[in-house]
Amino acid sequence: MVDRVKIGILYSTTGPYGSMGRDAREGAEFAFHDYRQRGGERIEPAYFDPRADLAAYLEGARSLIRDQGCRHIIGTITSTARKEVIPLVEKHDGLLWYMCPYEGFEANENVIYIGGCPNQHLIPLFDYLLPRHGARPYLVGANYVWGWEMNRLARELIHNAGGTVLGERYLPLEETAVERIVADIAEKRPSFVLNNLVGPSSYAFLAAMRALGARDPAFLPENCPVASCDLQECELSDIGAGVATGQLCAASYFDTLDTAGNHAFKARLKDWSGGERIVSSLFASAYTAVSLCIAAIEAAGSDAPERVRAEVLARDWPSLFGDMRVDAATNHAALPFLLGRINERHGFDVIASAPALAADPYLTGATTRPAPRLRIVS
Amino acid sequence: MTLKTPNFTGWRAVVLSEADGNTDRLRRQLGLLGVSVAVQWTPLSAADLPDLVLIDADRGWDELLPFSDAAPACPVVALLGSEAPGRIAWALRHGAGAIIPKPVSAATVYPALVLAVSLHEERLEARRRIAHLEERLKLRPLVFAAVKRLAAERHIDEERAYAILRDCAMRRRLPIEQLAAFFLGGSESLREVG
Repeated sequence: MVDRVKIGILYSTTGPYGSMGRDAREGAEFAFHDYRQRGGERIEPAYFDPRADLAAYLEGARSLIRDQGCRHIIGTITSTARKEVIPLVEKHDGLLWYMCPYEGFEANENVIYIGGCPNQHLIPLFDYLLPRHGARPYLVGANYVWGWEMNRLARELIHNAGGTVLGERYLPLEETAVERIVADIAEKRPSFVLNNLVGPSSYAFLAAMRALGARDPAFLPENCPVASCDLQECELSDIGAGVATGQLCAASYFDTLDTAGNHAFKARLKDWSGGERIVSSLFASAYTAVSLCIAAIEAAGSDAPERVRAEVLARDWPSLFGDMRVDAATNHAALPFLLGRINERHGFDVIASAPALAADPYLTGATTRPAPRLRIVS
Repeated sequence: MTLKTPNFTGWRAVVLSEADGNTDRLRRQLGLLGVSVAVQWTPLSAADLPDLVLIDADRGWDELLPFSDAAPACPVVALLGSEAPGRIAWALRHGAGAIIPKPVSAATVYPALVLAVSLHEERLEARRRIAHLEERLKLRPLVFAAVKRLAAERHIDEERAYAILRDCAMRRRLPIEQLAAFFLGGSESLREVG
């Protein structure tokens, strides 16, 4: 039997990506609630909130590992924070469970990756966009590695497709002065916009694009969509009612997912939160990470990271994303691709999908199967 | 310019090191980049060079590599725990284009590969360019002689003579040195110019 075990939960619930951190943390809390409902009591969460202070991530991880005895940490939203925590996790030979979509080019033995990397989000997104809207995008992004690398890859994909990138601009996380970028977009008239902004700058940008579309129909979402790989249901209320309606986002889960597993999940969640609740892919991913961690610890009969990892890699795990397989070479989960269009109800309508695709974090092409044909839903 | 995503799929690497935890981690990390890995602690054969060499620079000795003097025949990455200037110099002398610190951590492997391979390509290109320029420099007296003769034959100044040679070389898509040699040898009359 497993002795008392603590799993560290490391999310910032304040700061520029606070709404994402809160959703992720709640997903983790709900996974523990589910576990207790099943009679589980030996595995407990230990929470630490770094409040979006980069240095506090390291402090938090250290405290979770040393003071609380955690050998597993679920958390971090940004790549910067993940990179901050990894060396410590490596040193203590623990496991970090990272569950956000990210820019790839990492495959650490001490990390289980269940967010997607670009061959699971950006590449299929472009497979959808280029034939429909043309290969003349405008790229915007947050001024750190996520924005830079996603846009670099976008540029490469556009180059390979014989297209032209009409512009590429960056904003700091909390910068909301988007006027000059939007004026440039109005002038350059791209065929679509790839939005890798994060948080408030992304919301301001979407609002300004909405206003631009109202002045000039060429910039309405159906003509020049703004597409991203990380926009969440939990952010749509921050953005404002109707502001982003019609814009696109790639993900592996949406609240509206029509599967028996998701309906059962939403029903349980309704009981727990005392009302209807919209589930973001971050909530679903954090829930999945915690549930998978708990299940693998139970299967291993220990929280020893190498044994837990072996359990994770040994089989497919039922999850909200379908049966989830984590690749033994990369430690990355295979993930389905969904393309969502923002509706008026703070949610996404799934307009295209593809079955689970193995991660190819270094884009070697060797581990990717030929891209499955997108199934167009509507 | 678009930076192409570096891709090492199908490459062959030799790790010159005693097998240990570091080489295990290198095997894993290189494997998931699509690179096949052999680990050996014996000299590398010049007849069977891999696409990439990773070498234990803490303990390596000269005979491990069939090349030196910073003119490596393939990209070299040094595995280094020591900070001793002598070992760093040894790695440099054997053409190391990047260092992976020991103990090897996953995040250091791919960047080191990209760095070492890019640097190696740059070096090859620089070597090619230098050889080309040296060749041209050697032939420079021919150009000088051709200018002198052309100026004398056509009663023009040397500047004009040089312009004729240059234009003609461009038209024939030849280096000016080669054209000068043809002219001096009599097989090029420069009839259509001037």
